[in-house]
Formats: sequence, C-alpha cells, structure tokens
Amino acid sequence: MERLQIDNLLYRVEKPARYLGNELNSVHKIAGENMVRFAFCFPDIYEIGMSHLGMQILYHLLNRQENIFCERVFAPAADMEEQMRDNNIPLFALESRQPIRNFDFVGFTLQYELSYTNILNMLDLAGIPIYSADRNEEGPIIIVGGPCVYNCEPIADFIDIAVLGEAEEVILEIIDLYGKMRGKNYNKSEFLKQAALIGGVYIPSFYDISYNDDGTVNSISPKSGDIPMIIRKRIVEDLDNVFYPEEMIVPYLNIVHDRIMLEIFRGCIRGCRFCQAGFIYRPVREKSHDRLRELAKKLILNTGYDEISLASLSTGDYSELGEIVKHLMEEYSDKKIGISLPSLRLDSFSLQIIKEIQKVRKTGLTFAPEAGGQRLRDVINKGITEEDLINAVENVFHSGWSNIKLYFMIGLPTETDEDILEIKDLVFKVADEYYKVPKEQRRKRLNITVSASTFVPKPFTPFQWEPQSTLGAIYSKQKLLVSNIRNKNITFDYHDPKTSLLEAVFAKGDRKLSKVLELALKEGCKFDGWMEYFDFDRWMSVFKKANIDPAFYANRRQEYDEVLPWDHIDVGVSKQFLIRENENSKRARLTPNCRVNCAGCGINRVFTGGIC
Amino acid sequence: MVTMRSRFYKKGDMVFISHLDLIRVFERAIRRAGIPVAYTQGFNPHPIMAFATALGIGVASEGEYIDIQLSDDMDSELFMSSLNSVLPDGLKIIRSKKISNKAKSLMSIVCSSIYLVKLKTKRLLNETDIKQYIEVLIDREVIIELKQKKQKRGHRNKKPEFREINIRPFIRDIELFSLDEHEILLKMHLAAGSRENLKPEVVVDKLYELAGLPIEQYETRIKRLDLFADIEDKFMTSLDEDVWNV
Repeated sequence: MERLQIDNLLYRVEKPARYLGNELNSVHKIAGENMVRFAFCFPDIYEIGMSHLGMQILYHLLNRQENIFCERVFAPAADMEEQMRDNNIPLFALESRQPIRNFDFVGFTLQYELSYTNILNMLDLAGIPIYSADRNEEGPIIIVGGPCVYNCEPIADFIDIAVLGEAEEVILEIIDLYGKMRGKNYNKSEFLKQAALIGGVYIPSFYDISYNDDGTVNSISPKSGDIPMIIRKRIVEDLDNVFYPEEMIVPYLNIVHDRIMLEIFRGCIRGCRFCQAGFIYRPVREKSHDRLRELAKKLILNTGYDEISLASLSTGDYSELGEIVKHLMEEYSDKKIGISLPSLRLDSFSLQIIKEIQKVRKTGLTFAPEAGGQRLRDVINKGITEEDLINAVENVFHSGWSNIKLYFMIGLPTETDEDILEIKDLVFKVADEYYKVPKEQRRKRLNITVSASTFVPKPFTPFQWEPQSTLGAIYSKQKLLVSNIRNKNITFDYHDPKTSLLEAVFAKGDRKLSKVLELALKEGCKFDGWMEYFDFDRWMSVFKKANIDPAFYANRRQEYDEVLPWDHIDVGVSKQFLIRENENSKRARLTPNCRVNCAGCGINRVFTGGIC
Repeated sequence: MVTMRSRFYKKGDMVFISHLDLIRVFERAIRRAGIPVAYTQGFNPHPIMAFATALGIGVASEGEYIDIQLSDDMDSELFMSSLNSVLPDGLKIIRSKKISNKAKSLMSIVCSSIYLVKLKTKRLLNETDIKQYIEVLIDREVIIELKQKKQKRGHRNKKPEFREINIRPFIRDIELFSLDEHEILLKMHLAAGSRENLKPEVVVDKLYELAGLPIEQYETRIKRLDLFADIEDKFMTSLDEDVWNV
C-alpha cells in the first residue's frame, strides 16, 4: 500500500499536529504480507480520543504481537475533512498514512451515543459501505467495543462484531482465529460464525428481532441453533497479570487528559442507580500496590509527563490509596511530578490525601452531590449526606481553596420542584461555610461553579425502565434554578437537554434506529456532542422522515415484563437485582456498598476474581 | 544556578507543532533525559526555560535558541547529547554553551531574522516582473497591518478590537533569491523579537494584496535561516562569540 501524500493538506488546516502520527511511543511497523492490519478508530477529534485510556491499552497490547499492526484513527476535524474530500484523500491511519478501507479490521470504540453519526461519517470518508450487508469479502471487518456496546442495537446493522466487556483477551482470540482462516479460501461469514462461538463476541447479523404492533420488541432469537441465545460479557480476572502499557503515546497537542493514566482498579462498589459504569464494569478488581509502583516508574520514565492520574470510577475506594499516594509523593515530588485523583468522594480520608498531593501541584476540586436533598440522594443511592458535604467544604475552605465545583443532575426519577429548590439551598449552605472562614484567612473571592446535567436513563441500570423528563419539564426546572440561584459568586452551568434527549434515544434504542442514523448521515449530522455542530431541528426532521418518534425511546415508562432490546446481553448483573433496586429507589431506600454488605447483584455467580 | 544556551533547528514534521507544543516537548524531553533542571515556584511548577522568539505553525527554522536553567552543573556536550537522544526527529540541538548569570535574555538580544520564503506563482513571471512587485511594496512609506488587541481577562466575550500598525519600518530587506518556473524564492530580512516583530506570512499577504503578486494561496513555505542581534550597531547572529560570551 502507498503512503498517502497529505503534507500539502497539513499546511491548510488548524492544528496539523493532530494528523502527524509520529508522537513519542507511537508504533511504526513495516507491513508485510502476513501482518494483520487493525485500525483503532475513535469517533471524535484527536484531543478527545487521545485522552482515552482504553485506546492506549489496546494499541500497545495489539502492537506487542509480531503479526499485528494496530494504528490510530480519529475523526478529522471539519476543516481537514473538507480538505480530504476535496482532494480525494480517503480516511487513513495516522501511523502509516494508508487508507483504512484496505485494512483487515476497523475497530470503533463506543464511548458515547452521540458519536454514532461520526462512526458512519468516518466509514463514508474511508470509502467503506456503512451497512454490513453491503460489504463484501474484501472489505475490512467492522468491530466495536466500549461501554455503549451493551446496547449497540441502534448501530447493529452497520457493524460485524461487537466485543462485550474487557477486550484484552477476546480481541487476541478473534484476530488469532482470523489469522488462521484468512488466505485463499477465506470466507467472511464462515469466519463470523466461528467468531460467534468465542465468549464475549456478539455478531448482530446472526439474530432476528421481531416487534409487537406497538413497536416494542417481541423476541430476539439466534438465526441458527449453534449461535448462543445469550451473550455474556468477558472480564479479566487478575488485573495484576493482565497487560498494561509501560509506555503511552505522548501527544504534541494539549489534549483533554494530558497526563499518565494509571488504572488502579476496575468496577465500583457503590451502585449509584443512575450510573451505568457502576453496573457494567462489575466486579471490583484491584491492581496491587506493588504492580502500580512498578508501572508508575516505567511510565514516568518513558513519557516525561509531569502528572500521573490514578484512574478508576471511585478513586477513594482503592484499598491501598494512602500507601500508593505516599509512595508516589516520596519518590517523585522532587521531580515535580504531580498526582491527580479524579472521582474522589467526600470522606475525610480522601480530603487528607488531597491536601497531601497539593504540595506538588494544586488542582481544582469537584464534588458531586448529584441531588440537592437527602430524599432524592437516597432515591439514586448516592450514599452521602448533607453533613458529609458541609464537613468537606468546611475542611477545604479552611485549607485555602476558594474555587470549587458542584455537580448535580436534573430530571431524576421522582424529582419535584422542591427537590430543585433544595439544590439552591445546598449551594447557599456551601457558600455560607466559606464566609465562616475568618476574613483575614480568605485569599480570594469565593467562586462556586454549579453544573447541572440532564438525567439520561441507561441500559443495565436500575433506572433503565424510567422515562426521561420531557424537554419542556427540564427547561422549566433549569429556569427555576437559574432564577433562584443568582449570585455573583456562583456560576451556573447547564446544558441544553436536547442532546440528552438524543443520548437517551440511542442509549435505549433498537435496530429500527439504523434507518434514522443512515438518514442523519445523509443530512450531514456529525459531531453531535459538540454544540457548534449539533442541529436539533435537523435531527427532528430526520426522525420524522424515518417515521420514528424519539419519545417512544426516551420518554416512555417501560414495564418490567417488556422485552428490552438488550435482553440477550448478559453483563453479569441480574435483571431481578435491577428490579429490586428500582423498587428500593421508589421507597428512597439505600443499598449499602459492596464492602459493607453484598446486595446480591448476581455478578459473583457469574464471575470469580472480584472482591465480592 | 547554571544557564545553558542552545541553538537548535525545527524542521520536517516538527514545523507543524505550535510554540506551546514545542514548550511541552522540551519540558518532557528534559525530564526523560534526566537533565537537572530548575523549576519555577508556585502551584504549578515548570522547568525554567526561555526561547528567543516563537515560530508560527508551518514555519521551519535552522536557527532557534533556547535558554534552560539547570539546578546542577552539567557538561554542555553531555547536555546536548542527552537531550538529542530524546528529542523527536525534526528537533535537534546544534550547539550548547553555559552562559554567565549576567547574560542578557535571548528575547532582549534578538532584533531581526532572515527567512527564505518559497512562493508558487499563478502565472510565469520573469525576474524583472518579480523585482517590480517587490519594489511596489517596499517603496510604500506606510504598510498598514491590522492587529487584534489583546483582550483583558474577564472581557473575553467583547468584540475584538483592532489597531493599525505600520509594518514598513519592520521590513529591512526583501530580495529575489532564485526563480524556477512557477517557484520563486524570496529572502526576507524582517524585524523579530520583543520590541518589533513582523511575520513573513504577513509580508506575503501584503505582496499579494498591495503589490498584486499572483501567488497560490496555500503553497507558501517559509524557513527561518537565523536570528540576529544588534550589537554596537553591527549585525551579528546570536551565534557569534560575542553573544555566547556575554
């Protein structure tokens, strides 16, 4: 394959460094005959995609295999796409600058539903037919993974293979099978048939979906007897022995998460009822303190980064957090390497650690009470009290912070206007704590950023049956909050719920939506997660043309006995448990975290390896 | 404290990274090379380093300069080889030398720069034609460039304000270096540095707008040859012993 000439294009676009492909620790191989070519595509721009840990892991895992060459592909920004289309340059992989339509595998990671149009646009730009049925033996196999894959029905007609769960082992098994079968007598459908027998592999085209007259799903059934009825996700049992990169690609550009990401554990013990990650990534599995020390050392040496982030869903729940932070401080603070701890909770232990790490680099502080009042926080099983929050902010204000962020959600199940006003009450109580600090100790003006996002019901959560609030209801709640929260020290930050509506539709959608996505591509929808590109009216006209009502997916309460589009997928957490949790939420009843008491979610009947 | 002054080049793919990207590349390279660097104080410590000027995206250079402050003494040859072993292709230190604490900052010494500018013309021109176009521009007493005023913090959403600047005094010389069919090479000597600065890109725009030089919009390629300092009214490059030994 020829290397595409894109130098002239690079002089015409913004941030050409997005397309260079030769960053530190990127891998370049000479592609011989037997090399399996894999394009790892992130359906958003470079700065977003390069911040994604999963890509860094799989990129280096695949490239460690002699016979696999994995390269990166991102959605080109609008200016670059225009240049590429004008100059007949098809979508190419960054490292080799070769067209991905000639690759063996084209993989997409499904991180958020609003990137689906970008996937189609990237296929289009690559010159690959978007429907799997229209692709022949020659074309690449389109393979997807990531959190949205647990209900990938809206894009089921476009993909060949979905990998459910953690891909480190599955992906190698799939490529291994491909390696054995390719050659003269290669037959794509025969390959897919055999791939379907690998655990965690879902081949959407092997299933028939039938619908009831009211549009709900009637049944999901395999087309032949040897295809599994239920597809269970895969996990890695031992996080110490699983591959983890000792080097990461270091971009030239300032990306969103521009630091070393060191994964400390997977899964979450908390079980907040709105949070999909809290259920789909179970069970909890930790990397040991020793393994983390070893990885940190190598990653710091190989990247030159000045910051290391201990990544997980709830960093404070790592059982040896104090020890690993102490070690990193002792070892690297004189080299000015800072530590960042995302997703911390409000307990005093976490705050103590935050104060400790500030000695090297100061970071902002974000707290996520999610709801204003106790009743609603119990409905969502957040498991924190007002006292927790007030103690925490008292602590940080006395330690010199004057700038904090508070995250809330609007549109949660059972929410009333009183609950919204409780957000206001809570924010002002937080502000009061600041003014209790003696005046001479206050360094700067108080600034509280209140951010309110819109609740989106997600599959495999206890709220999967809940309707999303209508746009009108969300607007009036936002207005209520805005008019009550006016204060020069408080910045209120909220998002247009229109994108959240679309997110709900595609999170909970079924295969009928492929028609909508195809039309959306034709109408020019892309980068829907970016406000400057998102065009709601265009989307509504697309739905209308496709004769599909978005409210059917987003705003309709579903009964427990309704067949859900993702009922053939097994994440290890039982439906009975999710129903029990939904019922608990209606009574505002808390379910303790997994370390306190096993709530019987079912994961330990399916998988071993977790702490539970 | 020891300050290491270095000359380096920026070419190949590295022309596509911005000045801010370049700073990050150096910071990380310094750490990976294990160079004993001094850090700034404060909440977000950074290696102490200073560049002579910033290059625009897409502009190559044979003569860039950087001062890096070290916390411990280090042999300049070792400094150079350790840094070069971790810098990406397209960035390379050509010379390093310890300078005295009293040395003036690079930014304050630099006052001009020479560039080679490659242009592609829309139609075939002869030498006389091109020289005339250049004369049309440099014969003007005033060449106005609109420059956006820097916005104060907290006023970011205000309408951008512009001020008019006469850039003619910043043009020291423009000459035709070579001509090959549609490709012309101009040598431009322009003001550079913290007091007066003129980007060659702007001069190219003015040649097109004000003199009517018929060029293809996206085909301009620029390379800086070197930076110069005015010392006692003589032109000298920053490389001159006078500058290294201050």
